[in-house]
Amino acid sequence: MNTLVPAIGFGIVTASILAVAGVGFTLQFGVTNVLNLAYGDIMTASAFVGYLVTSAGVSVWLALAAGAAFGAVFSVLLNRVVYTPFVRRGTRLFGMIIVTIAVGLIVQNGLQAIFGATFFSLQMARPASVHIAGMVFTTVQLAIIGIAVAAMLLIHLLLRYTKLGKAMRATATDPDLARNCGVATDRVIDLAWALSGALCGLAGVILVLNVTAFTDTTGAQFLIPIIAVAVLGGIGHPYGAMLGALVIGIASEVAATVFSPSYKDVVAFVILVIVLLARPQGILSEIAARKEVAA
Amino acid sequence: MRITATALGTVLALLAVGACSSSHNGAGSASGTLVVGEFNPFTGPDAAFGPEMVGGCVPAVRLINSGGGVLGHQLSCVQEDTRGDPADAVPAAQKMMATESSLIGVLGPSADEALATAPLLDQGHVPMFADTGQAAFDHTTDAYFWRITPADDVKGYALALWAHKAGYTRAAAVFGNDAGAQSDVPTLVSAFTKLGGTIVYNKPFALDQSSYRTEIENILAAHPQVIFTEVDPQTGATFLSELQQLHKMLPLIGTEVSLQAPWLKAVSGAIGAQAMATYVQGMQPYAPPSGTAWQAFNRSLLASASHVPKPGQWSTDPYSMTYYDGVNVMALAMIAANSTSPAVFNADVMKVTEPGPGKTVVYTFAAGKAALKAGRQIQYVGAGGPIAFNHWHNSTGAFEAAKYVNGQIVLVGSVSAAQIAALSR
Repeated sequence: MNTLVPAIGFGIVTASILAVAGVGFTLQFGVTNVLNLAYGDIMTASAFVGYLVTSAGVSVWLALAAGAAFGAVFSVLLNRVVYTPFVRRGTRLFGMIIVTIAVGLIVQNGLQAIFGATFFSLQMARPASVHIAGMVFTTVQLAIIGIAVAAMLLIHLLLRYTKLGKAMRATATDPDLARNCGVATDRVIDLAWALSGALCGLAGVILVLNVTAFTDTTGAQFLIPIIAVAVLGGIGHPYGAMLGALVIGIASEVAATVFSPSYKDVVAFVILVIVLLARPQGILSEIAARKEVAA
Repeated sequence: MRITATALGTVLALLAVGACSSSHNGAGSASGTLVVGEFNPFTGPDAAFGPEMVGGCVPAVRLINSGGGVLGHQLSCVQEDTRGDPADAVPAAQKMMATESSLIGVLGPSADEALATAPLLDQGHVPMFADTGQAAFDHTTDAYFWRITPADDVKGYALALWAHKAGYTRAAAVFGNDAGAQSDVPTLVSAFTKLGGTIVYNKPFALDQSSYRTEIENILAAHPQVIFTEVDPQTGATFLSELQQLHKMLPLIGTEVSLQAPWLKAVSGAIGAQAMATYVQGMQPYAPPSGTAWQAFNRSLLASASHVPKPGQWSTDPYSMTYYDGVNVMALAMIAANSTSPAVFNADVMKVTEPGPGKTVVYTFAAGKAALKAGRQIQYVGAGGPIAFNHWHNSTGAFEAAKYVNGQIVLVGSVSAAQIAALSR
């Protein structure tokens, strides 16, 4: 019991990273229906941007901004230059999955060619420890929680209260109808890729802030939990991804206490399977299941 | 004319095939020459194993032959390419046993082909100095199987002994949930317990997670004095940096993985060079490039450039040293048994290596031969250190503890082969 409470607290840190990554992943899928399996590798590429920034002696906060900016620009260009031409030639959902896997491998091998197959750490001062309600966090971990909360609030405000948010929701629901109603869906799709990419880049940098040492495969290793978070919440639904992140983050840490650390992933996926048995629409939400890829 | 050309081509092809599967190296290919088979991959994914073996066999044979040979015979090393695949290794073993009438033993097999070929070699009464680390051979009853390289799971004994030597009695086991890391754990737990210690935390770790905070809380709640570990670099970096940030570092004793370059880079980047030097130590097979036996090996190796390409590359290679020792042990066992028949001298392998009262300790073949001729019993101590075979013909070798200081691996102590052998009984 005395280790269960800290486990829940630590689960919130894990959930924070998963939430930023998962919301970015699911937001882009909801609008475009492209299951972008290069997402983890773009996270890694953004982490390397953060590494270059901190290696130049610049603050880690700027590294976060640089990672997010890189993720946004890279994702928009990736969609424009690679994915859109395939979609316009009639490549369907599963064909696009293969294309995204290929892109992920290219990015990963490109990073290895540039930086080498070794480990890197962001250059920053060692964080202080903070005691809260019987738990010990580092200032970095508290910052990660804060960044995640701020990002989720901004996404909520954007989707709920801005014209862009409404246009995104309309495009996600029915892109043809949205286009006929005067929504500039091309622009909305670009912005969805940019927003998703920014969250992806941000997630890449906070992930490596947390794990402290990373290599060219670090983001790809994190892709499965990200997809699990998105699927658990109902893929395409940002709010679902937030909830999914919380469930998987806390469940995996509690499993490490109650059962064994080696069951962390297992427990998360058992929950996922149970949810999918009860609510199959969780795999592809009702909206997404009816759609084809949009560009 | 066409038929003649075809026949000639066929003969050439057959000769080429024969040349591919086995080839002699080292001095002494005259009639009556005894053959040591280098039974390892020379092609395929593990083709690097073979040349390492040549780097041990050739210097040994060179010294034996220059010292008058064995019972009037010269020795020769013959490459037997297993290609690292049991499908190729089994016919290679059968062919070797069928065609090499003067085969006295082999170096190898490696882990690639040992499970498939060791029983065949044993049935064929071929002494083998295996370089496989598989735990399946820890308790083998194959009479002709000998292993002087550490088995994979022997690391557990070395870790336990080193922690015991440092006075630790409560330890946590932090090992990845992969088969390689988990193979160390049973021997670690049994050995540390046998030495009076308690493993207070022992749960396999899922690798490459974004955090290990919960595991750290659970470990600290068990109050260990030291952490034993074998995890991959990223897991090690995350785990130790969180341990350092959230509480304080604990002494850590890792396997040889903790002394490999990727691990050192990842973890020292995460916890800092100072903490790395203060708290982290790793255990690896001990093969110091010094002493009489090593000097003899190295001199002969460097003089073998005509048969060993770039011989200097094997000077500090612990495997090349143990191959060298394997040939010397067989040669001395033949002299002790006064027979070149493997069925006869195999039993003397133990006699020329085990310590005992009144025995003459020898570090070279020449010294061993002279002592045996003088009627004395000997204990051969090789380039790779003392050899202490247990009941199952496994000699673990010694292990050294090392730490990482200012970018260099620094030796801090060792545990002997005899200590490990005693603990593993």
